[in-house]
Amino acid sequence: MTMPTFQSPVTASYEPTPGAALTLTDESALSKMVVRAAPGTAARGVLAQAFAGSRVAGNVLIAGSRPDEWMLIGPADAVATRVSEIPTDGHVSLVDWTHGRAMFRLTGDVASSAMEKVCSLDWSDAMMPNGAVTSASVAKVTCDIARNDVSGPDGGERAPSYVILCDRSFGQYLFDALLDAGEEFGISAVS
Amino acid sequence: MTMRRLPQQPGEVIDRSQPLKFTWNGKPAVGYQGDTIASAIAAGDNRIMSRSMKYHRPRGLLTADFWDPNAFVQVDDEPNVRSGHRLLTNGIDVGPQNVWPSLDYDVKAANQLVGRFLSPGFYYKTFIHPQKLWPAYEKVLAQFAPGGTVDYESEMAYFDKRYTHPDVVVAGGGPAGLAAATAAAEAGASVLLVEHEHHLGGHLRYGTEDDRALANGLELAARSAGVEILLDSTVTGRYEDNWLGIVQRSHPLASERLVKARAKTLIVAAGLIERPYVFEGNDRPGVMLASAARRLINMYSVKPGDRAVVLTANESGDQTVADLERAGVKIAEVVDARAGGNVTATAGSQKAVESVTLGDGSTRDADLLITAVGWTAPTSLLNMSGDRPVYDPAGARFFPDRTPDNVLVTGGIAGDGTLDQIVEHGRETGALAASRALAVAHRLQALTARAMPVSDPEPAMAPDARTPLGRDPHPELYRSTTHGIVDYSEDVGSKDLVSATKEGYDSVELLKRYTTATMGPAQGKLETVNTVAVLAEARGETIAEVGTTIWRPPYAPLTLGALAGRIFEPERVSSVHSWHVANGAKPILAGQWIRPEHYGNPQAEVTNVRENVGIIDISPLGKLDLQGADVPKLLNLLYTNKWSKLGVGSVRYGIMCAEDGVVMDDGVTGRISENRWLMTTTSSGAGSVWEWAENWLQTAHPDWDVHITPVTTSYTSINVAGPKSRELLSRLTDVPLDNDSFDYMQVRPGTVAGVEDCIMWRIGFTGELSFELHVPAGYGLHVWEALMDEGADLGIKPFGLEAQRIMRLEKGHFIVGQDTDGLTKAPTTGLQPLIKLDKDDFAGKPELAWAMGQGVGDAADAAGMDLPVLVSVQMTDSSIVPPEASQIVRPNTNEILGRITSSRYSPTLKASIGLAQVPPSHASSGTQLTVLLTNGDRTTATVQQHHAHFDPDGLRLRS
Repeated sequence: MTMPTFQSPVTASYEPTPGAALTLTDESALSKMVVRAAPGTAARGVLAQAFAGSRVAGNVLIAGSRPDEWMLIGPADAVATRVSEIPTDGHVSLVDWTHGRAMFRLTGDVASSAMEKVCSLDWSDAMMPNGAVTSASVAKVTCDIARNDVSGPDGGERAPSYVILCDRSFGQYLFDALLDAGEEFGISAVS
Repeated sequence: MTMRRLPQQPGEVIDRSQPLKFTWNGKPAVGYQGDTIASAIAAGDNRIMSRSMKYHRPRGLLTADFWDPNAFVQVDDEPNVRSGHRLLTNGIDVGPQNVWPSLDYDVKAANQLVGRFLSPGFYYKTFIHPQKLWPAYEKVLAQFAPGGTVDYESEMAYFDKRYTHPDVVVAGGGPAGLAAATAAAEAGASVLLVEHEHHLGGHLRYGTEDDRALANGLELAARSAGVEILLDSTVTGRYEDNWLGIVQRSHPLASERLVKARAKTLIVAAGLIERPYVFEGNDRPGVMLASAARRLINMYSVKPGDRAVVLTANESGDQTVADLERAGVKIAEVVDARAGGNVTATAGSQKAVESVTLGDGSTRDADLLITAVGWTAPTSLLNMSGDRPVYDPAGARFFPDRTPDNVLVTGGIAGDGTLDQIVEHGRETGALAASRALAVAHRLQALTARAMPVSDPEPAMAPDARTPLGRDPHPELYRSTTHGIVDYSEDVGSKDLVSATKEGYDSVELLKRYTTATMGPAQGKLETVNTVAVLAEARGETIAEVGTTIWRPPYAPLTLGALAGRIFEPERVSSVHSWHVANGAKPILAGQWIRPEHYGNPQAEVTNVRENVGIIDISPLGKLDLQGADVPKLLNLLYTNKWSKLGVGSVRYGIMCAEDGVVMDDGVTGRISENRWLMTTTSSGAGSVWEWAENWLQTAHPDWDVHITPVTTSYTSINVAGPKSRELLSRLTDVPLDNDSFDYMQVRPGTVAGVEDCIMWRIGFTGELSFELHVPAGYGLHVWEALMDEGADLGIKPFGLEAQRIMRLEKGHFIVGQDTDGLTKAPTTGLQPLIKLDKDDFAGKPELAWAMGQGVGDAADAAGMDLPVLVSVQMTDSSIVPPEASQIVRPNTNEILGRITSSRYSPTLKASIGLAQVPPSHASSGTQLTVLLTNGDRTTATVQQHHAHFDPDGLRLRS
């Protein structure tokens, strides 16, 4: 019997365009853990992240995705380490969303322009600054979105970057919808 | 190159180095890059552009821009193209619309001979009787419908949509709009400038050299300030809280793009639109507005005629005289309306002006009549903002009255002044808009958790301290002493309006609808004020007393494609989708999921499951992760049965009811560990059950410790069914599968095919021994393929939804939403034992307690309630499978008693089987039912003792 290997929801293959100003990267394989912690639990203090914001601890993105919910996203071992530090006394729950969520990263100076084509939110720096977290309909699919600026596609200065998570079953559809939205900006897919 | 093309003009926008070939009216023609289709046609000395809608009178260019009512043409397979606006492209075939046999000789022009019978309301009055002839009338009238030809074979165009949230949107890129946009951007605002035309600068573009220099300077300043500029785009509507619809016709990829903008402030700088004059023969080719002549000469280098009469009431008319002379047009007469001069008629052939009659009765030979009699203020966006503009007779146009704080007005629509004054007013408006946008932005950020934090108190809305623009006097010139066309698009004349007024349609709103004046493609931009003026004259009142119609969206027509935008149709697929495709599955769309309906032969798939083993991808099955000490309380509340004692490793089936006792969902829930449960729902009910549960938790029981997390797509769900399923699964897992270790209605975590954290359920929907596997979705395909490989010697085959439907029907399982409906109370489904009225409470309990007290669910005693009961039926003739929803009727009548809810041919039983909703009186075992088929035939069916047609004792699934 062959050993299992993780299969991304994005099964089509794409030819990346070197030097593209906008990139769409499939990061579905990253570990994603949902933590729910009721008010008063010690877990909230360890997570130490307010709702609708995020921070990077080590190489784990800790996002306050709902008033009592956090998402920890990153390499499996790093997320596992973070999770192990979370006290589970009181009303605290942990659910692994690694397999349940497709996750893409849209990066580039024109990323917000591409997002404007698929989502009705205000993507300005004032309303969606780096670190902001929200939920919204993207191309008619409910998504969690975190702005997590990284070095641009050319490896230069930090560029706006949106981490977009949706139900895994919508993954290929949403990936294609984002590619379509980014066509006028010369988007390149990395899957 | 062409007959009326002038030598290079200083302000021309055409690129003579790029000639473009096209055909007009079947003949080859040439234009230049930058030409509009109309300017290129006019350059070829073509005076007739179209025929009018009703009378098929020849028409020539009137405004030579977007609003030109006489310039609609067919371009290739695209009808109703505004040639006064659409830019020329190489190789297009341009033709006139709705003419036969040709533009020059149109037989339908005979309508003019019966014109006096085609008065307003002609259709309503003539074709209402006899009503039965309307279909025939309709076919004939359709032959007279205006417009071009739709080619149903045309390739679908691509449309786009965009959302944006600028601080300031400026509608109009004339001098005031440009200045406003620049000032707002310089004040730090994000600014979106929307210009209707292809060039910025408004009327400056066809003005003097100084005008063009000013336009260029303003444009450069706007671009330097970082203003986002959309050319060839229109703000089509303003809605609540400055929600703006903008149609962008200039997108590089899309035919049109609808931009939905939420502007913090809107600046309306739409300028003014020159108004036609009403007199006899005012639609004869050669009658043209001053702005049209100036566009043709100065922007497109086209000589509009050879000998002109100019009726002028303003500076624009005066400047046109100079332009015409420079273009080599002889001036036969300049008629100054400010000095009492007038024009009463044109004469000549139907196809061209040959002479013009002046107010004193004298005539002048001319092939061109230019009118410059004033402007209409296009106040549409102000109307949509709640403003009711007020007519000023001294200025001969409407002016804004009062707008909301987040809507500002500048430019000609706001008042008059020198260019310097207009630009300064624009700058002040832009600065004010930016300041007010800041206050709005502050409020939005303060209210939004994810936004950049604000600490200062919200700034006050800045007061309006702008220096107001003045109002230049202008003579009121609407209709001459003669009658003529008021609405060129709809072929409505001033005589028609007077006649309709006399008929009693003397309010402007009624007059508009009765005559259709202002309802054509120009949407009143050219006709509204003239209509009001004619009505006022007919009523003996002033324009102010008559008032005007209220402009509603859209400001300019847009295509349905633009409104639809990009089509988002989300599709969901499981991790095994690629395998299904590669192995010939016939797809079926179930909700948003693309699922295999079958792999070629669903009947054979059933037989294989009954005899060997089959696997089905059931990933869409709803799954909710429940954690917390109070989960049993929640389960007791949601389900009708009891859940407090469900042990770890056990599974229970339950039905959920809404508060009216109607079945809303069903499924199984298993206790995975001490603190974790996994609830499954129907595939279509996953979202609604989650919402339902959260609603209870967040409103009625916020004190309960329960966390619900949807995990439907976290798992690839596979049902392994058939007598050999245990043997197959045992090859892939170490979890003991014998009945003692893993009994029916139990759940076990474990590793399958090397994949950890799988969940195995000993349940199934097929009535066979089966195991439901929930595999972490990233490894779903791996496990599926492992099952197929390991089961090859066991005769494994995949099966699809159709085979599953057959087997569940053989087993008598109902499907919520198919076998139940919005009136199906839980006891009527045959599951009365699952309704535990001795529980403290559950959703729907009061209603169910009452209903069961009335005998609902007990077929023997429920006649009084007469609620349909779900029963299992078998057709007398096994070769007949009645379509689902077939009616069950009283014998020898058409009285409907119930319906077949599910039906299939059972390859296992060699019988036609089904489920049906019938009245209690017909629910007893052995009752003969009459089924009315869709072809009108009748057949009979017999009510069965059990819902299960197959293995009613469940021996196979417990084996």
